[in-house]
Amino acid sequence: MQEDKKIIVLPERFLIEGVASAMNDIKGLNKDYPIEIDLKNTRFIDSAGIAFINYLKGNYPNAVFENLKPEIEKIFSMFPSHDSLEKDRKRKKTGISERIRFRRVAHSMEHGLEHGLEHLDVKLSDIRGNFKNFFVLLADEIYYTYQYFFQRRGIYPGEIWHQFFFMAYKSYPIVSVISFLVGVTIALTSAEQLRNFGADIYLADLVGFGMIRELVPLMTGIILAGKIGASITAEIASMNVLEETDALKTMGVIPEKFLMVPRLLAMTMAIPLLVVIADVVGVLGGVLVGKFFSEIPVRTFFDEMLRAVDLGDFLIGQMKTMVFGWIIVVSSGYKGFSVERSPAGVGVATTECVVLSISLIIVGDCIFALILY
Amino acid sequence: MNDIIQVEKLDVGYDGIVVLKQLNFTISKGDITVILGKSGCGKTTILKTLLGLIPPLSGDVAFFGEKIDFHSEKVLNKLYQRIGVLYQGGALLNSLTLYENVALPIKMQHPELPPQIEREMVYSRLAQVGLDESANKYPAELSGGMRKRTALARAMIMDPDIIFCDEPSAGLDPITAAGLDVLMRNLRDLFGITFVVVTHELRSIEKISDRALVLHKGRIHYFGDYKDLFTLKDPFIDTFFMKGEDHDY
Ligand SMILES: Nc1ncnc2c1ncn2[C@@H]1O[C@H](COP(=O)(O)OP(=O)(O)O)[C@@H](O)[C@H]1O
Ligand SMILES: [Mg+2]
Repeated sequence: MQEDKKIIVLPERFLIEGVASAMNDIKGLNKDYPIEIDLKNTRFIDSAGIAFINYLKGNYPNAVFENLKPEIEKIFSMFPSHDSLEKDRKRKKTGISERIRFRRVAHSMEHGLEHGLEHLDVKLSDIRGNFKNFFVLLADEIYYTYQYFFQRRGIYPGEIWHQFFFMAYKSYPIVSVISFLVGVTIALTSAEQLRNFGADIYLADLVGFGMIRELVPLMTGIILAGKIGASITAEIASMNVLEETDALKTMGVIPEKFLMVPRLLAMTMAIPLLVVIADVVGVLGGVLVGKFFSEIPVRTFFDEMLRAVDLGDFLIGQMKTMVFGWIIVVSSGYKGFSVERSPAGVGVATTECVVLSISLIIVGDCIFALILY
Repeated sequence: MNDIIQVEKLDVGYDGIVVLKQLNFTISKGDITVILGKSGCGKTTILKTLLGLIPPLSGDVAFFGEKIDFHSEKVLNKLYQRIGVLYQGGALLNSLTLYENVALPIKMQHPELPPQIEREMVYSRLAQVGLDESANKYPAELSGGMRKRTALARAMIMDPDIIFCDEPSAGLDPITAAGLDVLMRNLRDLFGITFVVVTHELRSIEKISDRALVLHKGRIHYFGDYKDLFTLKDPFIDTFFMKGEDHDY
């Protein structure tokens, strides 16, 4: 009789810290296994403890509760159990989430266009302070990301994938179109010149080298600054204005970690994919110009291109774009968190973020050129 | 120990600009204390100072009998486990459903908690504010009153000892506002939660307040039992009550 019955004696203080281990005690038990929960010692219980008992009541029909003190029983009446609210569980998520999420971003960006441009002037005296704050945020982000790898908490579960989807899936069309057009444009411009020297075939070297090492990183960076950077700033800035970042803080969440680490990691995952796509499509633009304008056969084009461009160039392009991507995320976060708390502030921050990221990307590109050539 | 908060000689403000000087008051367990004053007088500033969101200019604040060092992240995080906040607009995260919003503090502070328990906790809190049927909706699909009730559910989820509310009735119609007040009183009566409510609208909060802190001209003008406010013959308080809601726009 005693053997096929599980007895669990709950502690004096049955609080949220103890619930996981109590759940462990019943793990693997059949749903209709007899369980006896003894509350003879229990004098304090919190809502997690109540939730545990409500869960048992709802899911283990043969669970019994002994020695429930009246003052604790009274608390139970105030917590409707999930079971009694069962009907709602069947409700399914609607697909509305994305629409709403992006609606707000779009709104903030409109605001940016209306009000942002007037505020572009920067006071010289502020520059030094801003410079410092930017690097403080940068250092924080490096620390929080590092910390995240060792202790997976402080960011919303699944948020990295959500952001990755947003960054990669939503921007690959525009990145490919622009890259293709840039590929065509530089191919046409160079083909004209090369023909004068009778050096048509070097079009392949020029396009391959120019696109993969220089133009794809730069153009991808600039497009992402406008597309991803602006929306990150708009989102963080409006969260700041609406006190959502304050709310995070008083829930014990660090907004600079909660909001930024998923975006940084998502960007880190999205960049390699976007660069490969942009490289392929951009070179394709050159190939088409080569074939129809300079009459270079596709095969010859690739043979020639691969003599000029090697894996190292591809990796340099990847690395540069990666750095630009990080510049975008950190600049957006910086502008988003330092927003002036007014509705117009969101627009100002968004515009400033795009200007800041593009400027930093070009400075960065120049530094890369100096180092790498 | 019945005092939840003790404030001594506290100056609050921004970057050296003092908004309120020499604040002394205490908040006792189980009381609903209302902080009253014209808009722009510094009510939100006091609240954010008590919450450690802006540093105090000088003076001391003690929570639960312990002096708070507002520069220590560790001290603040310990404090945040015992307090809940209802922000002016609700401050729900728009990308999350009501369920996910209310579950957020659990997910962040106790990621090890089994999901079944989390569901029980969230649903019972949503039911307490009457919103369990809307659990899978997004904040943008709700009215202002529903958003504030959700925010209240989120503020309660970790069983706080005290909940701060910034202008809970602002932007709500009188009936919804009264509903929110009744909800707060019920929560106080049932769970013994202490409330600090900031408002510039007297009428909405009248029925539920135990204590009042009236701010005027950068100082505390009155601090005492709410019902005694009416027996005072004070010109400022009289005009404040007379003109009611539209005194400062
Ligand atoms: N971030 C800030 N920086 C500087 N001054 C501020 C800031 N926020 C508010 N103030 C000023 O502090 C005063 C009090 O504001 P606040 O506490 O928001 O008033 P209330 O909540 O009572 O309406 C106002 O004069 C306001 O202009
Ligand atoms: Mg205010």
